[in-house]
Amino acid sequence: MAAQGGAGRWLGRLEVCPTICFGTLFLLMDSDIDLQSLMARYKNGDATAATALVNRLSPQLHRFFLMQFVSRRHADDLLQETWLRIHEVRHTYRAGQPVLPWLYAIARNIRVDHYRKAHRAESREEQLEESFDAAVPAERSGGAPDVEALLAALPESQREVIVMLKVSGMSLSEVALATSSTVGSIKQKAHRAYESLRKGLAGGGPNTGKVVFHER
Amino acid sequence: MKDREIDDILQQVAGAQPEPDSVLLEGISSAIGSNLQPAGSLPPSWMLALGLFLICGTVALAGGLFFGLYGVRKMTAAEVGLIFPVLGILIWFAAALCVAEAIPGSRRPVTPWLLGVSGCVGLATVFGWLFHDYGTARFVSQGVKCLTAGLGLALPAAVAMWLVLRRGFSVNPGVAGFAKGTLAGLAGVTMLELHCVNFEVPHLLVWHIAVLPISGAIGMWVATIVKSRGQR
Repeated sequence: MAAQGGAGRWLGRLEVCPTICFGTLFLLMDSDIDLQSLMARYKNGDATAATALVNRLSPQLHRFFLMQFVSRRHADDLLQETWLRIHEVRHTYRAGQPVLPWLYAIARNIRVDHYRKAHRAESREEQLEESFDAAVPAERSGGAPDVEALLAALPESQREVIVMLKVSGMSLSEVALATSSTVGSIKQKAHRAYESLRKGLAGGGPNTGKVVFHER
Repeated sequence: MKDREIDDILQQVAGAQPEPDSVLLEGISSAIGSNLQPAGSLPPSWMLALGLFLICGTVALAGGLFFGLYGVRKMTAAEVGLIFPVLGILIWFAAALCVAEAIPGSRRPVTPWLLGVSGCVGLATVFGWLFHDYGTARFVSQGVKCLTAGLGLALPAAVAMWLVLRRGFSVNPGVAGFAKGTLAGLAGVTMLELHCVNFEVPHLLVWHIAVLPISGAIGMWVATIVKSRGQR
């Protein structure tokens, strides 16, 4: 039964990443099993496993925060806070379970807390209007579609799903677990996000296909 | 534009993001690696859920014994055979949900809102089907007593549940609070069914069932307050 669940999970991953070949699929399976064994060692007090996990998972967590449009400095802070929280609640990780849904559920919690704190601070300073007006325009003056602005224009829940699925390489069921949601809801959010991105990218004028990125 | 092209663009955007500083990673590693001790695992989910189930049952029975088991003695076998199994199923789902909410990235057996609604609708259906006395004698005075007793009993149940789940970590404290409140409320409703001899349908539909949403709302409110105090 466990093997069937595992196969389903990996097939789910294949479904959302059509470009992944079977070789990559097995690499991903190995990778998750490796993460599970590192987590088990970390829980048992192995400091080298903790360092390995930090080095291996921090880049993708950092990217997850950056792609939710927080500044580099805040992304660094969030990364530290996430690891400290992971450290505090590492006993809640269940041996043999996929690591990423557990990890991203905690990272999301940290990000939401950060968002609420920032929102409260903004409210106090009465600068809400200014901060929302500062959203990046959807198109650059040169006519090329600004992908980051298109991502920023997506509802937060859709953007988060897209980042987990396409950037962090999680499966539909893993994202559903991380977000306390259902696979159907995740599929719907991803579909809507892709529709919005497609419209935005297609409406990029004469330079469609040439995309603009921001350096942070 | 095809999905694969959008995938490629997203990969490019992700690739353009800066990597975390190596000094930062070293700092994190040394912070969590210093004095790293083995962390004992939580008991299996089914064991935690069973613990919560037993707590609810025990608190409800203790309350029933304290106030007197008059209600269950007045019920027919069919009434006992339907009401208590339905309550047992609801308590089991609520217990499993509370455990799932205490472990990040867990699969939830049911959403908390669905549990709350299905609990109220399920109990209303059972009461409406089994009882046919539509009188409203002393509707408010008796009803307030039942509501107070049900909510009062939910409190020790909630405290005992908190003790069982205190090592867990909820990523959605408000939702987890609602689930715990609903479970504690189910203990209160079970006690009322054991004790209360008023089988008037309006009394059961309004005052007994009201324990569930009110207890859930109180649980959610308390969890939100605790969370916001913790953030200050």
